[in-house]
Amino acid sequence: MTTEKIHNRQLVFMLFMIRSTVTIATLPVLTTGTAEQDAWLSAIVSLPATLLTILLIGGLAVKFPEETVIEYSRKLLGKTGGTIISFFFLWTFLYTAATEVRIYAELLNTGLFPLTPLIFLVSSMVLLAAVAAVLGIETIARTADALIFFYIFFITASLLGAVKAFDHINLQPVLSRGFGPVFSSALTPAALGNQSLVLGILVPTLTTPRKAVTSAVLAALLSGTVLILSSITVVGVLGPKIGSSSIFPFFLMTRAIEISRFIERIEALVVIAWGMGIFINLAVFLYCGARGVSQIAKIHDYRPLIGPMAVLWVILSVHTYDDLLDLVKFFQPQIFFPYSMTTTILPYLLLWAAYLIRHAGRGEKKYIKKRRIKPG
Amino acid sequence: MKWLNALLGKKNRTVKKELAEENGEDFTDSSLDISEREAAAKSLSLTKSLRENLKMIREITGAPGDLAIREFKTGREQVEIALLHLEGFIDNKLFENILRMLGLGSFQAPVGKGAGPNLLQEFRRRLLQSAEIKEVKTVDDLWNALTNGYSVILCHGSATGLACDTGDFRYRNVEEPSAETSIRGPRDGFIESFYTNIALIRKRIKTPNLWLEELTLGSLSRTKVGILYIKGLASEELVQEVRQRVSRIKTDAILESGYIEDFIEDNPFSVFPLTFQTERPDRVAGCLLEGRVAIVTENTPFVLVAPMDFPMLLQAPDDYYETMHIGTFLRVVRYLAFGASILLPGIYVAVITFHNELLQAQLLLRIAAAKEGVPFPVVAEVFLMELLFELLREAGLRLPRAIGPAISIVGALVLGDAAIRAGLVSPPVVIVVSLTAIASFTVPNFSFGIAGRLLRFIFILLGGAFGLFGVQFGALLVLIYTSSIRSFGYPYLAPMSPLILQSFKDLHLRIWRWRMDTRPLLLGGREPLRQARGQQPRPGIEEEEKEKAGKGRKNDH
Repeated sequence: MTTEKIHNRQLVFMLFMIRSTVTIATLPVLTTGTAEQDAWLSAIVSLPATLLTILLIGGLAVKFPEETVIEYSRKLLGKTGGTIISFFFLWTFLYTAATEVRIYAELLNTGLFPLTPLIFLVSSMVLLAAVAAVLGIETIARTADALIFFYIFFITASLLGAVKAFDHINLQPVLSRGFGPVFSSALTPAALGNQSLVLGILVPTLTTPRKAVTSAVLAALLSGTVLILSSITVVGVLGPKIGSSSIFPFFLMTRAIEISRFIERIEALVVIAWGMGIFINLAVFLYCGARGVSQIAKIHDYRPLIGPMAVLWVILSVHTYDDLLDLVKFFQPQIFFPYSMTTTILPYLLLWAAYLIRHAGRGEKKYIKKRRIKPG
Repeated sequence: MKWLNALLGKKNRTVKKELAEENGEDFTDSSLDISEREAAAKSLSLTKSLRENLKMIREITGAPGDLAIREFKTGREQVEIALLHLEGFIDNKLFENILRMLGLGSFQAPVGKGAGPNLLQEFRRRLLQSAEIKEVKTVDDLWNALTNGYSVILCHGSATGLACDTGDFRYRNVEEPSAETSIRGPRDGFIESFYTNIALIRKRIKTPNLWLEELTLGSLSRTKVGILYIKGLASEELVQEVRQRVSRIKTDAILESGYIEDFIEDNPFSVFPLTFQTERPDRVAGCLLEGRVAIVTENTPFVLVAPMDFPMLLQAPDDYYETMHIGTFLRVVRYLAFGASILLPGIYVAVITFHNELLQAQLLLRIAAAKEGVPFPVVAEVFLMELLFELLREAGLRLPRAIGPAISIVGALVLGDAAIRAGLVSPPVVIVVSLTAIASFTVPNFSFGIAGRLLRFIFILLGGAFGLFGVQFGALLVLIYTSSIRSFGYPYLAPMSPLILQSFKDLHLRIWRWRMDTRPLLLGGREPLRQARGQQPRPGIEEEEKEKAGKGRKNDH
């Protein structure tokens, strides 16, 4: 089997689309927590936390440029420990993706296709992702390459379209209730940093794995910018009360836009952009999940796993949440933050600890060696 | 008893075959199948007896009327000589020339035992004025020479014959290609002649490093196929891959380059063409200069180029010859038109069926009013009209030229107008369908247009069934698929996916020639720089160059 390689630029694009899609779609800075008009501050606050998560995940991945997280977790924690930890990650892939496809399906269901059964929307998106995953990560990355322009264009167009309806009064007063609400709203977006788990699987396929962290940080900064801008715009257009009580505030905002007498109702653009983002999102997660399972089960090729996994995924996506409110509840900071902590941060802290214990001595030696060579 | 008969029959057959092989002349036996006949003919070599040779040839070919055999005696020894050619393949003047020389030979011909072979050597060395002379040793060689326009001299006492090039097959003239016209640019197009086509390319790239590899494909058609590339520019792996794929073809006949295309494509299920075909020598030359490989096939004006990428399909030669602004504008228009030609009917159906709210109120009212009383749903309407249009297009293509205009009048005016008046179709649908049709004609490549048409129907159905979501589903599926396919190992959507910003200078844009310093990254990687940098025309450039040259000289000292 030929090894597939993706360019770091493609990783940036994929991570950017993965991260910005969900954050814009539900705008957790506004809809979770109580920040209201200070949502943009929450977005800024959540950024360093996201970067920290990336350093945690990407930093370790860079130490093992040839291996996936499944492989090196076994090295670090032993066979049993590594496998248990890996299951956490695989679960996150499966569950996050199932949640995201459900969000998109709910959006379509409420916004555009009220009569279409949910399972149809979910399964057609998953089918697309499965096709892409079977064709390989290279294909997914190239598709991201082709889509990125449209994606950025559609998002920018909808943000610019909102300029006319923007009212800065909506953003005031700033920090009227102190930093407490700001932090409460920043928890969920920060916890969404668990999407960076894909780094654990994708880094070995990179052309230059050692720059993986730089690429991921770049992607996080870009998507962070988008998040900040969109939270400012949404609050400016809709006002904090309507914005935070709606489920898809960004979508609602684009519905409110009327650029001119002829150009109105540009929400289709946004839905299409989300469709692209969700597609990349699902494809990458499905690929990572299948790769991970195949490595745990020592199966040479991950492709045969994709069919069954996709079916499982559709079922999980449809049956985990009763309705939209259930979904919204899951993203509440008091649920989602601890969830993300236990499935992502804690395992990684464990891995780091094991790494430091095992490699501390060796690292120092390397350092000394380098110093000695330099003067000579 | 059946099996016994079968067995006997088989036995008879094998006995006959053995006989034929033993005697080497039993070609009158009608029970021999084509492959057996071919194999037998291949193994036959010419003998020293002229009479026997001629008999052999007559038996193999069935002594057709167009095989002219002129027998006569020449020289003091009165050596028997035969001159063979195929009618219609040769130039009469050249042929008469050879005939005259053979007569002249009689005065200088050597005498004695080896008169036959010596006579041939004499002809070859001194008398024949043909452009190319080669020896033929087998009947198969001899026949190949005849079908390539050679005249063959056979001489009693010599087991080899002389083939002299007298070829002049009457082809049509080099004309403007009918499938790819352009306003600005050369007007010559390929024709059916192999060497004329090669010459048309070589006239544009005169370097000796333009290499041609010839091979013959098709056991029965024996079609000449040439692989053309610039040595040292095209990547060796690519040339090797093309050579390997083409020479792997084992078939009976190649009637058109489309046959080869089918054999060598990377992905047989791709709707999109994976090798580029063109009738224009300037396009082929441009492709060769980018490091691609051309495959020229005898008997067809369509030359294949590999590898192909998607942007090539939307580039027209005019873009390069016009000024940068016009070129870029045309490109952008073409890209938009291409997108519209595939997606527009699907989107129209989706919006009218599912997303009325996306339209502006006034527009929606207009469309709704026009749709009043139409008995079909929009999907059926658009689908039928598209089908009707395809029908018209195909009929227009196949009809004798004189009836063509009549059909287009009937089709466009009578049918379209009557359909609207009768209230079977709404005018907006006609507008959408005709807009799509016009847009689809902007695609410079014909076979790609066909692929677009197929996709359009799928998008109409998706749009009708699932609205914009369906259209998006289809578009993403097409995108994933086209991102995954490769043409000769090169990604199909190359500068867009994977993203190669450097190559964007020749994608939607067509920037100034003096800025196109580098060849396309993936193909021209062997020598990326095409020309010297910084050739922008500007005042004072002469002084700058002089200064540079002066500096260079100083540095030398």
